[in-house]
Formats: sequence, C-alpha cells, structure tokens
Amino acid sequence: MKYILLQIKTDTTAVSALSNGVSLPNNFWFWLSIIELVIILFLVFKLSSKKKNLAFSDLNKDNLKKSKETDINMGNLMNSINNSSELYRELSRKCHPDRFVNSPNQKLAEEIFQEIARDKRNHEKLIALKERAIVELNITF
Amino acid sequence: MWYKVVQIADWFGEMSERYKLVRDFNKAAKDSFINGQAATLLEAKITWGESSYRHAFSKFMGGGFRIKALSGRPMAKHELIEVGKVVVDNEPLVRKLVSLGWDTLEVHDNHGVSGCKWALKEHAHIGGFLK
Repeated sequence: MKYILLQIKTDTTAVSALSNGVSLPNNFWFWLSIIELVIILFLVFKLSSKKKNLAFSDLNKDNLKKSKETDINMGNLMNSINNSSELYRELSRKCHPDRFVNSPNQKLAEEIFQEIARDKRNHEKLIALKERAIVELNITF
Repeated sequence: MWYKVVQIADWFGEMSERYKLVRDFNKAAKDSFINGQAATLLEAKITWGESSYRHAFSKFMGGGFRIKALSGRPMAKHELIEVGKVVVDNEPLVRKLVSLGWDTLEVHDNHGVSGCKWALKEHAHIGGFLK
C-alpha cells in the first residue's frame, strides 16, 4: 500500500512537471484559436444580421434568374453613351409639338415627343422614333 | 448535399457571367473607339464599391462596376454624369448588374481619382417589378 501511494505521488509529480514544461505553449495556441473562433463567429453574426437589413433581403435569388440571363446589347449601350444626346436634341427640336400647332399631326407629334423624352438615352429607340417621325410626320432630317 | 453542389455551380456560373459582362462592355467600347464613334476609350472593371450602397445580393469585395476613361479626349464632369445616366437608365442592364452582385456604378475620368457614383439599388425597381 505504501508503495502504491508512493507510486501515485511520483506519477502526479511527473505529470505536473510534464504539464508545466510542455502544455504552456499548447495553452497559448489553444487560447489563440479560441480567440480566432470568437472573432470569426462575431463576424459571421454581424454579416448575417446586416444582410437582413439590406435592400432586396426579402427576395429569393431564384427570382432574379431571368434578370441574370437577360442579353444586353452592348453596341446599343455604346451608341447611347456617345450619340444619344445629339440625336435627342435634334429629334426634340424637329418633332416638337409647337411646330405642329393647328395641324392634323399635332396629337401624333405630342405622342412621339413624349416617347422621345422617355427614351432620350436609348439610341436604338431614338433611331426607331426618327424613322417614325420621317414616315408619319413627313419630317426631313 | 446536392443543394450545396448546385449552389457552388451557381456561384461559378455567376462569376463567369460577371466577367463576361465586363468583357463584352470592354469589347464594345474598344470597337466604338476604333470605329471613331467614341472620342474616349472606356474600360469597365470590378472594384470594391461603396459600402453604404450594399444590398442583399452584393458581392463581398466586388460590388463596384467602374467605368473609366482610359485614353483619348479627357471627359468633362457633365460627360461623366451622362455616361452614368445612360447606364442607370438602361433598366435591364441595371437589373442584371444587381442580380450579378454589383451595387455601385462608378464613372471615372483618366485623370485623378475623382468620379461619380450611383447606388444601383435605387434604379433597379426590382421589388415593384416582381410584385
């Protein structure tokens, strides 16, 4: 019994000595990883709570699938950037309803003018309206 | 499990779609500059974007769609605004940008760092469109 007790005592001292020597760096890395985990959890929580308050958070991503697949006419976009303002100015001047006062085309001119104002930055539509003005209002450009 | 696989495939599809849009824009801009239709060469690229313009579909660190004047004639401020307004008025394009994770439209000149910014969520009209 005495030997057993002695053995236990020596074992515990050996373990404590071992833990004093070896587990100190282990403790450091353990606490560092715990701190990292806490930071990551905090960031994830903040991100998720922020997303709930953002615009379109009530929408499902599948609802936007059609928008994703829309084909954009980049040539028209470039033409709109470079040429639409000039074309709009020309069209709005020539198709202005004031030029058609007391004529049978006055209502048509008003309609075309409204469409020109609505699509003033869309080159493709302005070209179509120009052709319509040539045919229906007999305007020469 | 399959749901996660589909999600990952969607993510890659979305990324390729984003780069395709930027590539198409740059190609069209280059073509119009070479043809002489445009006085300034424009280039689109992906930037961080403005944090206050973020929405639920915003991409992390990639929410900005920047159009930059590269070379040719320098652009005046009203021209930068006009470029931005043309993009913002194109509703299908704005919806596509929003759905692909962009939240900010930036238009910059080739000199300095100043430019104009638009929040795409204000021009997408997505909620009303779907309802």
